[in-house]
Amino acid sequence: MSLLDEIIFPDNPSIWHDFGGTSSGYAGITWQMMIWSIIVGVLVFVWMTYNLIMFKHKEGDPEHKDALKVGVFPHERGDPRIEIAWTIAPLILVIWLTYISLAPLNYLWDVPDEEETDLVVEVVAGQWYWSFSYEDNYVVPSNFDKCSTNVNCVEVPHGSIIRFNINALDVLHAFYIVEIGVKQDAVPGIETLAWVDTSDVSPGEYNIYCAEYCGNSHSEMLAKLYITVAE
Amino acid sequence: MNSKTLKILSVGFLVSLLFAVSAFPTANTQPTGIDSGLADMVEANGCSCHGTEPSAGVGISLSMPDNFTAGMTYTLTLNVSGGPSPMEDGNQGGFFITASSGTLDSIDDNVWKPEGRTHLTQNEDGNNNREWSFNWTAPESDSIVVTFKAYANSVNGDSDGSSGGSGGDNWNGASFTLSGINAAVVVDDHGELSTPQKLIYAFTIIAVTLGVVVIGNRMVTKEQSFEEVLKCYWKAVYPWLTTTDHKYIGILYIGTGFAWFFVAGILGLMIRWQLFEPRLDGDFLTYQEYNSTFTMHGTTMIFMAAMPIIFGFANYLIPLQIGCRDLAFPRLNAMSYWLLPTGGIVIYMGYFTGGAGDVGWTGYVPYATAESSTVPGTDFWVAGQIMLGASSTLTAINFLTTILRMRAPGVSFMRMPLFTWSIFVTVFLLLLAIPVFAVALILLMADRTFGTLYFSGSCAGDLMGTTACSDPILWQHLFWYFGHPEVYIVILPAFGVLSEIISTFSRRPIFGYTSMVYAMATIGIISFVVYGHHMFTTGADPLFRFVVMLTTMLVAVPTGIKIFNWLATMTEGSIVLKTPMIFALGTIITFTIGGITGIILASIPMNIALHDGYFVVAHFHYVLVGGTLFSFIGGIYYWFPKMTGKLMNERMGLLHFALTFISFNAAFYPMHNVGIAGMPRRYATYDPSLTEMNQMITIFAFIFGFVQLLFVYNVLHSYKYGEDADDDPWGGWSLEWATSSPPPHNSFTEIPTLKSAEENE
Repeated sequence: MSLLDEIIFPDNPSIWHDFGGTSSGYAGITWQMMIWSIIVGVLVFVWMTYNLIMFKHKEGDPEHKDALKVGVFPHERGDPRIEIAWTIAPLILVIWLTYISLAPLNYLWDVPDEEETDLVVEVVAGQWYWSFSYEDNYVVPSNFDKCSTNVNCVEVPHGSIIRFNINALDVLHAFYIVEIGVKQDAVPGIETLAWVDTSDVSPGEYNIYCAEYCGNSHSEMLAKLYITVAE
Repeated sequence: MNSKTLKILSVGFLVSLLFAVSAFPTANTQPTGIDSGLADMVEANGCSCHGTEPSAGVGISLSMPDNFTAGMTYTLTLNVSGGPSPMEDGNQGGFFITASSGTLDSIDDNVWKPEGRTHLTQNEDGNNNREWSFNWTAPESDSIVVTFKAYANSVNGDSDGSSGGSGGDNWNGASFTLSGINAAVVVDDHGELSTPQKLIYAFTIIAVTLGVVVIGNRMVTKEQSFEEVLKCYWKAVYPWLTTTDHKYIGILYIGTGFAWFFVAGILGLMIRWQLFEPRLDGDFLTYQEYNSTFTMHGTTMIFMAAMPIIFGFANYLIPLQIGCRDLAFPRLNAMSYWLLPTGGIVIYMGYFTGGAGDVGWTGYVPYATAESSTVPGTDFWVAGQIMLGASSTLTAINFLTTILRMRAPGVSFMRMPLFTWSIFVTVFLLLLAIPVFAVALILLMADRTFGTLYFSGSCAGDLMGTTACSDPILWQHLFWYFGHPEVYIVILPAFGVLSEIISTFSRRPIFGYTSMVYAMATIGIISFVVYGHHMFTTGADPLFRFVVMLTTMLVAVPTGIKIFNWLATMTEGSIVLKTPMIFALGTIITFTIGGITGIILASIPMNIALHDGYFVVAHFHYVLVGGTLFSFIGGIYYWFPKMTGKLMNERMGLLHFALTFISFNAAFYPMHNVGIAGMPRRYATYDPSLTEMNQMITIFAFIFGFVQLLFVYNVLHSYKYGEDADDDPWGGWSLEWATSSPPPHNSFTEIPTLKSAEENE
């Protein structure tokens, strides 16, 4: 039943635990969303089942006094108190969900400035490759040997704040570090940016995908991000 | 007519049919778009060639390596031969070369690179040569194919001769391709049929065969001549082609909608078969064909299946529900309808001209501009969309006028059935949203066809001395300003259908009629201020993103009111479980799941992780299939007796529901998981670790597809053999049940009056 297990417990660390370290509030909002989804879903399902069990039509049931008649607009049915209640309750719920969404955003959008950033990586997206270059004065640590070329491969130090300046040559692309959950469109003519604090993720190999449709080899526009402890 | 002439006639008919099929246009146009005349290009590229027409006598060759490695520098030699014989000590030739990628550089005094340009040409010294050498540095990627475009003059050197020294000179142009060492070599399959083409041919052959069998059968059994049979069919078809009756047009709309639904469903199954396992380019579909497939699937489902089905129900039911004899403008109605199949055919013309549109249903620029999307199908896609937009706008005007002006006595606004109300809200969305899309499409068409730069995005190109930059995000603003209300255009009428069905089968009035109306109006208004949630990752202004996150969340409130009101309608009711009701209840479950995932996607941090992935695909299929399509299938079961006077088969209906509901959820629920695991949408291949899950999706998607044939069978079978239905088989209250089943020619023999239960007491 491994397939069923997979469906019930989807596996992606960036969703369940942290936002690749880019947010402390992220796991919290995932769990809250999950819990509220289940509550609302179960409420609807249980209420419907209850209706079907309790109010199913049986032969010989007497017609209700406001039963429908053809060509006659029926009696108005409703209870303002209940209706206001189920207007206010979802309102409070969605305002709460918006509110908790702000905590990760506060962190995410607080982009580290020049002094706080340890390394700036220039990312250029083209059909259909990624090319990376370090900022000019960066001294590449001696044990960085994972990448033989700067195309579709980049190695960054662990325990640093990395900023990616993203540019596109031709059409829209999107810079998507899958396991870390960073996603940022690359737009021709506009420089966009994404950042990661690598002290919150373990060293290793991470996948970079292109997430915005960009033509024939869109699904093969893949790259590797290596996070290595610098010596 | 004797049997011999009949035989000759039928053989002749068959032969001409076969000829027609084989002569169907299949020409592939230039794979890189239409060449706008070589001479123009030469001018545009800045080559000062001697004379206006290229000469075939001039040969150009370029010596290059077999392939290139990223970043390496190569020395290339361009040679021109033929043309006039050169004079001694005189000028001999000139050239011009550009590379689509990489950098060209001069290495000696013969070759010159103009300041700030990327091309090379000869200088004074180089004039005396017919061979030039220069360096080319390969780009950073060697998985691409680079194209060199070269033009060369072959000059006789009579600088004081006629026409300024260029008399007697000849020139020519040529292009050369050089593959990177890792470039995937595209096999030239010219002349081979692509998979979609094969499918289209297969269906054409099946249709023609069926036609021959049906006509032949009738000729034999009824002993009619060929002409008599055709005349007989023409008599049956003619009223449908010329009708302005809202009932006929309604059924035409519904039929066309389901026909396109069938076509797009097959495209959907092709997508699933491609994703059955991680496939290489061309294993089943080439990536190019895959891109066309998902584009046509999305476009067809939204614009040519969902919207026509909705308009069909609205056409049929609105005059009946508000008690009038037809729509306000019956001929306009017919025109709106006929724009639909024609616009659809225009969109599909791409398949016969070298590849259908490949820009996705969203048509994002700059990909959708002529430089990137070179298949001719994209132009057809744009043109066809404009026609469909015109169709929807005209029909919206028609519904609006009808509902405002033609209600029967007693049908005040707050006594209109909820389906009519849902269409009333929808027409405002149509009228405010579709024109914006039409404008965007016209601008895109200008970009593609006339070379304007509304969306091109790149700052390249020297236009009248200025650099032309345009904003690629502009398209997304225009598209989603239309695109998000569009989503509500297809879901609001579904709410209307559900309200009708649930109230009727609970045998009680709808709970909170007034709040239902206000909820729909609120959804309509909010729908115009939420579109930015499609653009959370574009780098838009944070304040803009925050505002649309809040407004998007707010949509949940009126939607929640509707769901709770439906459930409250059932409470204390007397629920009759017939097929329409069961479909309505199934819709509530699937739509609730789709709504919940909508809220999850509205939260910006969640959206950043899930955007453009399969979670989104799962979400909108739950809303559009699980919401719109399910409720309208319920609507077919519900109003079929009114339209035809026959009841649909109940047992087959229940079986259809059970199989549909199970296979739908089994196919689309795992897409959430695939999305969370990180698979982006529109991927033609994927990480092998997701194979098992994708196979499960594909298998159940095929089951879901095949189960729908049961529905088709049920409709046809019930139409012929179904039990007769009386005027009000389910016990509904609204005026469509007051007329006969099927309604008489003018819908009502006399205009009815809607009474009120309050006044009757």
